[in-house]
Amino acid sequence: MNKTQPAVRHRSNRLGLISSLATVAFLAACGGGTPSGSGLGSGPLLVGVLAPFSGADASFGPRYLAGCYAASLSINGAGGIGGRQVSCQQFDTKGEPADAVPAANSMIAGNSNLMGVVGCTSDEASTVVPILDRSHIPMFCMTGQSEFNKSTAKYFHRLVPADSFDAYAMIGSALFGTGHPAYKRVALVFGDDIGSQTFVGPAVAALNKLGVTIAINQAIKLGAPSYRTEVARLLQATPDVILTETIGSAGTYMKEVKQQNGGKVIPFIGTSATIDPVWFKQVKDAIGLTDFLANYQAVDLKLTLSGSGYDEFVTQLTAADSKFGGSNALTYKGKSPTVHLYDGIIMTALAMVATNSADRTVYNPKIIDIANGVTGATVVSTFKEGVDALKAGKSIRYVGAAGENNFNQYNNSQQGYNLVTMDKDGNEVVLGSLSESQTQSIIDAGGGA
Amino acid sequence: MNTYYAATLLVYAGVDIIACLALNLQFGISGIVNFSFIVFQAVGAYTAAVLSMPPDTANGAYQVYVGGWQLPFPIPWLGGALAGGLLAIPVGLVVLRKLRSDYQAISLLVLSVIVNSVITNVRPFLNGAAGIAQVPGPFSDQIDPLSDTYQLFYVGLTVPCVLLVWLVASRIVNSPFGRSLRAMREHELAATAIGKNPVELKMTIFIVGGVIAGLSGAILVGYIEVWAPSVWLYPETIILFAAVIVGGRGNNVGAILGALLVPVGFFEVTRRLPTTFGGWTPPPNLIPAMEWVAIGLLIIGFLWFRPEGVRPEPRRVFDGAPIREEPSSAAIS
Amino acid sequence: MELYVAALGFGLISASVIAIAAVGFTMQFGITNMINLAYGEVMIVCAYIAFYVNQAGVSVWVSMIAAALAGAVMSFLLNRFLYAPFQRKGTNLIGMVIISLAASLILANILLAIVGYGTAAYEVDQGPLLRWNGLVLTTAQIAIIFVAAILMLAVHGLLRYTRLGKAMRATAANPTLARNCGIPTQRVIDVVWLLTGAFCGVAGVVAGMNSENFAVASGAAYLITIIAAAVLGGAGQPYGAMIGALIIGIVTELSAAAIAPEYKEVVAFAILVLVMVLRPQGLLAKRGALAAAG
Repeated sequence: MNKTQPAVRHRSNRLGLISSLATVAFLAACGGGTPSGSGLGSGPLLVGVLAPFSGADASFGPRYLAGCYAASLSINGAGGIGGRQVSCQQFDTKGEPADAVPAANSMIAGNSNLMGVVGCTSDEASTVVPILDRSHIPMFCMTGQSEFNKSTAKYFHRLVPADSFDAYAMIGSALFGTGHPAYKRVALVFGDDIGSQTFVGPAVAALNKLGVTIAINQAIKLGAPSYRTEVARLLQATPDVILTETIGSAGTYMKEVKQQNGGKVIPFIGTSATIDPVWFKQVKDAIGLTDFLANYQAVDLKLTLSGSGYDEFVTQLTAADSKFGGSNALTYKGKSPTVHLYDGIIMTALAMVATNSADRTVYNPKIIDIANGVTGATVVSTFKEGVDALKAGKSIRYVGAAGENNFNQYNNSQQGYNLVTMDKDGNEVVLGSLSESQTQSIIDAGGGA
Repeated sequence: MNTYYAATLLVYAGVDIIACLALNLQFGISGIVNFSFIVFQAVGAYTAAVLSMPPDTANGAYQVYVGGWQLPFPIPWLGGALAGGLLAIPVGLVVLRKLRSDYQAISLLVLSVIVNSVITNVRPFLNGAAGIAQVPGPFSDQIDPLSDTYQLFYVGLTVPCVLLVWLVASRIVNSPFGRSLRAMREHELAATAIGKNPVELKMTIFIVGGVIAGLSGAILVGYIEVWAPSVWLYPETIILFAAVIVGGRGNNVGAILGALLVPVGFFEVTRRLPTTFGGWTPPPNLIPAMEWVAIGLLIIGFLWFRPEGVRPEPRRVFDGAPIREEPSSAAIS
Repeated sequence: MELYVAALGFGLISASVIAIAAVGFTMQFGITNMINLAYGEVMIVCAYIAFYVNQAGVSVWVSMIAAALAGAVMSFLLNRFLYAPFQRKGTNLIGMVIISLAASLILANILLAIVGYGTAAYEVDQGPLLRWNGLVLTTAQIAIIFVAAILMLAVHGLLRYTRLGKAMRATAANPTLARNCGIPTQRVIDVVWLLTGAFCGVAGVVAGMNSENFAVASGAAYLITIIAAAVLGGAGQPYGAMIGALIIGIVTELSAAAIAPEYKEVVAFAILVLVMVLRPQGLLAKRGALAAAG
């Protein structure tokens, strides 16, 4: 196993031992609006969107909220969870772990009807995951930090890849991707933010093992006004592809690549985080749409973005449009965070219906059953279908807007990678995918994941 | 209200009170505008963290940092306080000796940004932007940190620190040294003329403030178990300034009141604001942005309508001294 | 070697952008005794105003004039309705710094509420490329250098050869004495805010063009670089700010060429700290920075 071998939080270890004992005591301490017996209870339910709504990553919160709005409309339109209506509320972590602590605790204390929480990005996951876990609140987190690769937090769920997986997939794209020969001289251009730090190590290890030349490995200061000298150095190294993320500064950087390279853009492969409206607009504005479409590729988890589950998602997202103060919620329709968190909330709701319980300790384990499916389970793709199938006495597997989920014993769902790009409107377009053996060969070269 | 939430509020209030008392000593009593205050809290937090953590090869080595000595309580807290004081020496020597007051302020502001940028980019030092996680709190190996008991225990550790810092701050304010500081704040030239050495006075209080700020960081990091560059961006300092201005500059009780009103009270209240208003949902980023506008307005409003704050600094008049108007402070000339 | 030649050239562009901004900032300080920490936010507001003008189909160079006007008006109003009343009230220098910081918070977040967190980019015709020894510049970038050079010469001419410039220098040196000598200091100060505000507006657009993308958060980043340049050269000194801008611009790029690029700003700031230790009044200043002004 490699250096990014995940950590096990010491407190999470203990949690397994005490959770069963603590449950009763905790619920009493909590002031218990949560019924501890069976039955779905009554009154509205709340999904907390615990994420940055201000600060450097303020654009994250709204896209999660969009997923939540769509999910709540889908659930409420089908009669709610045993008649209980679901609503969404934002809780601003300000994109930092210290402010996230009171935000999380205040959310928990003030809302006994929390059915689950979505959000918790890399900015704040390290403080809020333990808090939510000890309060037995199912969560779907958007962090790629490797410390959660083998999380033992029972209420933690992750539908996004670990950052190191993204690194491997990008190399896969460079070597086995469609529409180009295997690249031989790779440039790594990453920023100084949380996500980027974890790409570089595994990527360098894998590239060296696979005999690919690393033309240049460049760490840049995000948010700098220009990168002209950096780009001059990059061009001196004559890479034939750039692997990058550089959120916030990609436009500035790529524009200078184009200018200094005589108007010719070098192909660039982005992480799954680059499939994002802000990133798209920035780079498209900088180098022009034509060059963007001709040179950009990215990797993403296998999202289907089709089928009745996805159609339902788009329908509800359209309906949620009015909730966004005039801005267009539909810009999020091809965004994996929005789609994933939508699925997470629907699965949580179905778990509640399936267990006929609003007790989080009861329905939480059911979420994974519904995601992975048990033998003979009926496949459903919307909340309504799920409820109908459950009422008919069947067990179900939810294959939703993003497609299948496969949680492992650490509550991480990995579906393999798609090689993707974006169309002129910034929507994801799938170009192909990496085979098991291709992915495995890179992961082995990188020293495992 | 559950135990965790109550404990969080109390610990945060304690940390903010300690920080505001330190800032009040520097800004309220001595007139030093320490716009890099949060850096001193951060250095205390980082120091306490690396003193109490295992070496970075632990936990699967997913983070890198210096130190990792696993020292028992109270060494990490004392170390954090010490680090805050030690950092104050070079910073004070650069900034406080010759520069004019407003110039000191912007130099410290720039410094705050530089230090944050360095820590973010030099990853092997303190794990860069991701920061360090899984910092063991005091006695977390003996009391389960997930338990109610531990939450209350942590409040129990914080409260004596608050009282100690308050005691120290009160002693300083009411001592001859405190009078010298106020004299310097009101009229540096006059204070110099009666034999006070302003550089020495400023350096002393800068170091004292650094020690207290370092302690506040150590307490906070033990509780939240994480520290990262995003926690100590310079706007955090502005919030503390707003607290001291609102509470009452130069008055320790005012500083405490300010800590309770602004960093704790204001943000707890805004957390509880509704996010829909009669069917209208504002754009998701609007309310957080308006919180900052409100903080700005709060500062300007107080400085205009009530510059002395909620609890003004008491006017100290000696028996027999002629009553006169206070000199207008450092008039622009 | 080619890389260093290129870095020098790139440094010149950065320096031009910083210089335009820093001269305005330092003149506000030098003449009105006001460290205006809202300067970066006024810049970014102006950059956005020019962006909307540009979006309407107007050339970015014409939009720059709109931004200059907007910057002039905003800065004038900021002084008239916020700073000046506080100064009349006798608020001390430190108080004024805090007030300007509060103003910058308010401006940035109101702007944020209006334009959101996304980035904006101008439609610029970059013109043909010019190459020399690894240095690649677009015509638009060279135009930015020219704009900066012209503005710097204009400042020089204004301060040195005009009655207004003389009045400004007199007001900066000693406002009371200047007033007693019959200089309408109030009007001079108004003109200074209008003029420096126009610099601020132009600087916002130029900085936006330089970075290609800009966002609300860029304002705070600009401010730090501007302060660094101004402090380096000696606060309140327009020529000092020009030198400070040159040093910061070129050192930043050279260190990106010579050392790891993620440290480039750190290196520039390290020079600043060094200057503060060795020559706390800044490179050029004879007055202003040192204790107990006036």
